[in-house]
Amino acid sequence: MKKLVLWMVMAPVTGLCLSFMYSPSAVNHPSSKTGKLIISFRNSVDALPLELNKTYINSLQEPFKVTRLKYYISHIELDNTSAVITPDANYFLVNEEAPVSKTITVPFPAGSYHRITFLLGVDSLRNVSGAQSGALDPLNGMFWTWNSGYIMAKLEGRSPASSLPLQQFEFHIGGFQGRDNVLKKISLAFPGGKPFVLKAGKTLTIDINANIQKWFQGPRSISIATHPSCTTPGSLAKQIADNYAEMFSIVSVTD
Amino acid sequence: MNVKRSTLSLYFIILITTSFGLMADSCSKKVKNNIATTPLQPDIPEGFPKPVYDFENNPLTEEGFALGRKLFYDGRLSIDGNFPCASCHQQFAAFSSYDHSFSHGFNNAFTTRNAPGLFNEAWQSAFHLDGGINNLEVQPLAPITAPNEMAESIENIIRKLNKDDVYRQMFRSAFGDDAITSQRMLKALAQFTVSLVSADSKYDRFKKGLLAFTPYEERGYALFKQKCATCHTEPLFTDGSFRNIGLPAVPGIDDLGRMKITGDPADSLKFKVPSLRNVNITVPYMHDGRFASLEACLQHYNNGVVKSATVDPLVADGIHLSNTEVVDMVAFLRTLTDTTLTKNPRFADPEHKAIFSPDRH
Repeated sequence: MKKLVLWMVMAPVTGLCLSFMYSPSAVNHPSSKTGKLIISFRNSVDALPLELNKTYINSLQEPFKVTRLKYYISHIELDNTSAVITPDANYFLVNEEAPVSKTITVPFPAGSYHRITFLLGVDSLRNVSGAQSGALDPLNGMFWTWNSGYIMAKLEGRSPASSLPLQQFEFHIGGFQGRDNVLKKISLAFPGGKPFVLKAGKTLTIDINANIQKWFQGPRSISIATHPSCTTPGSLAKQIADNYAEMFSIVSVTD
Repeated sequence: MNVKRSTLSLYFIILITTSFGLMADSCSKKVKNNIATTPLQPDIPEGFPKPVYDFENNPLTEEGFALGRKLFYDGRLSIDGNFPCASCHQQFAAFSSYDHSFSHGFNNAFTTRNAPGLFNEAWQSAFHLDGGINNLEVQPLAPITAPNEMAESIENIIRKLNKDDVYRQMFRSAFGDDAITSQRMLKALAQFTVSLVSADSKYDRFKKGLLAFTPYEERGYALFKQKCATCHTEPLFTDGSFRNIGLPAVPGIDDLGRMKITGDPADSLKFKVPSLRNVNITVPYMHDGRFASLEACLQHYNNGVVKSATVDPLVADGIHLSNTEVVDMVAFLRTLTDTTLTKNPRFADPEHKAIFSPDRH
């Protein structure tokens, strides 16, 4: 009888244990051998820190104010190592209006690293995979509803050089397929040519500056007077993306 | 002691039977946060190709479908409450806008294209007549936010739905908790629209050998296979391609179709080949609803095609139907009407149960 009772107790208990063991877990538990990478973005116009609604002059001598600046950062890697993060969480929207969005924290395996690499934009797969959440939620105003796809980066403002109503200018840069692809892989070597070490349980902080001036002046000159708006994929979007791909630089790395 | 033992044993027997009962139950239901959903199998008719839609990424459930259905018929998805999805997609018209070349939107605005019927969406790889939408789930964002359609914002819809206990309960039933997000709303809507399958017309029954065609229909079908089926490929009655069939742009709308999406002049005036299923009840026709009858459409293919650089060679010189053949062809096209779709109470407005009460439990 005792054995029977024992069996009766163990059967449901074992069953319960098994069901726990097999319950799929959506959480990717960082192991004890990870540290935190903190990327802190700051936006500037050349050497001046960017402030929304403040007048700056671009390299084409056009005065302009920025009213909105957003860009996607995804697929962050240190050397060739990926973050310890679920695929859904690997997208970040840096939004000048939301200071908290300018600091990204991601767990990485402990190690010694020389460079950071990330995608400026949202990979093509996520552009065709239906309704998304988090940073990719269409609520963030970065999804084209009439021509499916993400706006990879967005710069809006006012300039007396613009011929548009209210002197607006508007660069919504997107396009993920074929010749319209504006995705940019950004790779930045750590300064001084020496590796920085991310220790388990510790942090590695990278300050990255994004110089908005580059939108107007990179491989191409994009004047607000000539191009006050770019809101479709195509050759102009590609030119602006070629320009802004040069906007990032590492200010400092702290381990 | 014996009494205690037998009580204990009884307890465990109940415990074990209950566990088995629960295990058996969990075979048919999926459980998240202790909320069970009832899986639905995608409706994939015999003879249809493999669906394009990724059902694995949005497994159909009775609860998700019910939520999508409620959303589809809910005016709160529009700014003033007057324009649910169903205002332009009417079930009796195979979910097209019956007898409207352009649909009505907010503030007395018109759309600039004819609303297509909604069915067999799981087999489409691009949505809208210009193919600008690449996934069924994100399609509703376009009409919802278009100022001449539903003119609403997703933020505001979520705000409105959050005020409604019924919706919070339905989101909980479908997704495990009552968070109302754009992703869940869009996935629920997709569960409803992807379930609108049309595969039970007279044509389908003929193909299964369940009934015979009239001589008119039979002759029309033979003609169809000869003159139309290259683009309107069976069994979906579209090959999903974009083609210019020689309809010049209407001044004032100047719709260049596919070129608007690709920016490629070679795509000028090309529009998606629509399915011909239910064609008799999706009047009027063409991307701008310019033709009010099937006869007028066939007349266009006969001698109305306006040639241009991008016009499709298959129709550039007309398809040469005699008047008798037009009659036969129309007879065949009418066999594509699927009343199983248009009268299915599961697809009807859930708030108007009385209309279909005999079929409901």
